[in-house]
Amino acid sequence: MPTHPSSQQVAITGLGVIGATGRGVAAMDQALAQGRDGLGRLDLWQCELAADFPVGQYRGNLDNDLREARPGTFAARGGDRLLQRMSRSDKLSMVAALEAVAQAGLTATALAEGRTGCYLGQSVCGTLQSEQAYAAYRGGARRRETLMALFQHEGANGPDHLADVLGLPGPALSFMTACSSGANAIGLAAEAIRRGEADIMLAGGGDSLSRIAFYGFCSLQVTSPDGPRPFDAARRGMSVGEGAGMVVLESAAHAAARGARPLAWLGGYGHSCDAHHLTAPHPEGHGALAAMRQAVSRAGLKLADIGYINAHGTATQDNDNTEALAVRTLFGENAVPISSVKRWFGHTLAASGAIEAAVCVRALQQGVLPLNLGLRELFAGAGVDVLREDRKAPGLRHVLSNSFGFGGNNAALVFSRAE
Amino acid sequence: MDIAVTGVGVVSALGGDPAAFAAGLRAGTNPCVMREFTRMDGSTVKAPACLAVTAEPAGLIEPRKLRRMFRLARMAAVAARQAVTMAGLDLSALDPTRVGVVFGTSLGSLETTQKFLDSYLDNGERAASPLQFMNSVHGVLASQVAMDLGATGVNLTVSQRDISFEAALAQGARAISEDRADVVLVGGADELTPMLHEFGSRLLLFSREAAHCTPDVQARRPAVVPGDGAAVLLLQRQGARPLARLRAACVGRCNSKGADVALLALREAGIGGPDLVTNGRNGSARTARLFDRRERLLRERAGAVAFVSHRGQFGEYPTAGAQQAAANVLMLAGREVLAVPGLAAAPATILHDGASASGGHAAYVLTANA
Repeated sequence: MPTHPSSQQVAITGLGVIGATGRGVAAMDQALAQGRDGLGRLDLWQCELAADFPVGQYRGNLDNDLREARPGTFAARGGDRLLQRMSRSDKLSMVAALEAVAQAGLTATALAEGRTGCYLGQSVCGTLQSEQAYAAYRGGARRRETLMALFQHEGANGPDHLADVLGLPGPALSFMTACSSGANAIGLAAEAIRRGEADIMLAGGGDSLSRIAFYGFCSLQVTSPDGPRPFDAARRGMSVGEGAGMVVLESAAHAAARGARPLAWLGGYGHSCDAHHLTAPHPEGHGALAAMRQAVSRAGLKLADIGYINAHGTATQDNDNTEALAVRTLFGENAVPISSVKRWFGHTLAASGAIEAAVCVRALQQGVLPLNLGLRELFAGAGVDVLREDRKAPGLRHVLSNSFGFGGNNAALVFSRAE
Repeated sequence: MDIAVTGVGVVSALGGDPAAFAAGLRAGTNPCVMREFTRMDGSTVKAPACLAVTAEPAGLIEPRKLRRMFRLARMAAVAARQAVTMAGLDLSALDPTRVGVVFGTSLGSLETTQKFLDSYLDNGERAASPLQFMNSVHGVLASQVAMDLGATGVNLTVSQRDISFEAALAQGARAISEDRADVVLVGGADELTPMLHEFGSRLLLFSREAAHCTPDVQARRPAVVPGDGAAVLLLQRQGARPLARLRAACVGRCNSKGADVALLALREAGIGGPDLVTNGRNGSARTARLFDRRERLLRERAGAVAFVSHRGQFGEYPTAGAQQAAANVLMLAGREVLAVPGLAAAPATILHDGASASGGHAAYVLTANA
């Protein structure tokens, strides 16, 4: 059972998280420890649906977060002029990225002069700004700022801002595979390190709340008036959320050479497409199963090595049925403890897989599996060991994290404990 | 890296299939026309544009499937099917988990995004359209193509402005070279909608001058002639009938010191100086400065002497690089020169040097099939 770095493992040396639980990994830890969800009423704009469906909204002041961020690269290279050009989604990603970089102990010089890049998963990007611009334009606004805001729709803004502020000379790309984007970005960044294309990659996902996302998921009738209850018999759907998760990935050799202590290892990445339906998963979970199997196999592990599964667990009927089916098909009935953290954060779309990567790393570090908040009665026939409370797992070595998205896009990541 | 390119598909202003596209390039056709765009206030304006012709999907995609596709996905799916047909592949005989789809798009489906926005702005938030919502997500482009082809392997959408396609090409190539796929359809697609044209022309990014309706990429105009379309390359580890070979595909930042990815791509391909360099020069003064600098560097460091961009015949849009890639493959496959002034002999090696004004940089090397 490998718990040491191998040629297939990539070190995680920094974590950054922002979302409904607050800013930072410490705030996330605290919320998870207290069993306190981050759901509440949407107040980024006024709308009727805000009264019907809670959301996972970040309540802090992002501009102040960035002005105060350490290392001081944002103030030096961006400052207030850049803040005016950044979407809310960009700011969420930047806050998480700066936290991850600070934890990794990377200096501005090390980032700018090293073989470094960033992969950012996004889904709705800056549409909170572009949809406002469009509505204003329809109403007669013709100012340049209104016109320019339409281009917040472009996914490239997020990685470009990260590359510019952090001085990253390597690839800076946006991956858009809906709600699996963050996990795919992390998996693909790890592959880039394994190939030797980079020594350090900043990777993760970020998305802000927007009318498109909130009204869109409401229109699909998959949002719940009482918040998500993943795997519950009476579950009624998700809560849309916002946030960002970023990790610093580093080759084992590079981390060792600079004396950086890995927080965990990223051992395997699996990816597949259902090619079945735009919004519904394959009813037999073929794609989910393939992604999980690949991730475990590429980590050089056996299925029995996995000690915890962080579920995608959106609390929609389709997702939870299919994910449970795929998990019990692959691992066996009630074989591996599983939980979804969607009630803490809401479904943060592209950010979800990246935030959940941070949850997995913290579970490995602390030896505690997070409970599946919101569960009252497991749905009949689920056949999976859903965690009703936090569970101590001092021997935890390897965990699997699932992320699934529109278009049947599936990603799975395997994380291993750093001794 | 040594990957076979066995198929090409193109839906472009030059034509709705690879044969029409190649014929248009060969003849130096100017596809630009003065089009009438209807603005949101109901007024109309005429402006030069290179809109992709309506693709002829007969025999390629079932009408039932086509009806469910928005314009951007339809262009992408038709181009993907054309590439499969050109490669002579029977997809039903392949393991679908080993067939991947990787697309680049900068703006995704603006048409469906606008329809979704209109649905709640016109009728209230409770009347937002679920159909338009699900199709407004960028990643749905690759998913639609995968659903049409039954491809359950790697499925990615990359969005990085002018290097979206080139970055997708690098990802698709890696999937094959790392044995995560046997076949990958790599494409690029973006669309010009009346809304985008309205915003772009008000920002003076898009030309409204009839005199600019020419394919002159060496001009240094204040604005570009916009276009749209989709193009796909079919990559295989080994192909029965390779059209060309992909020898390197690299991505980075063009403002980085000492890490020029075009030079890196040449090194990886084991090529000193390419016969031809293609790039994204598009007739605008803004990108002219960028490509002047890039061409100077490649002359000095790689001995490159022949440079060309066919974007004047595609119209400018972020993933027009996919059409350039299709043109490059066809040049290498046919061993002919497609409207390349100053290049007498057919090229055997082509370096594409893609760059974005915001700093993205991507390059690939294609060679003729030996």
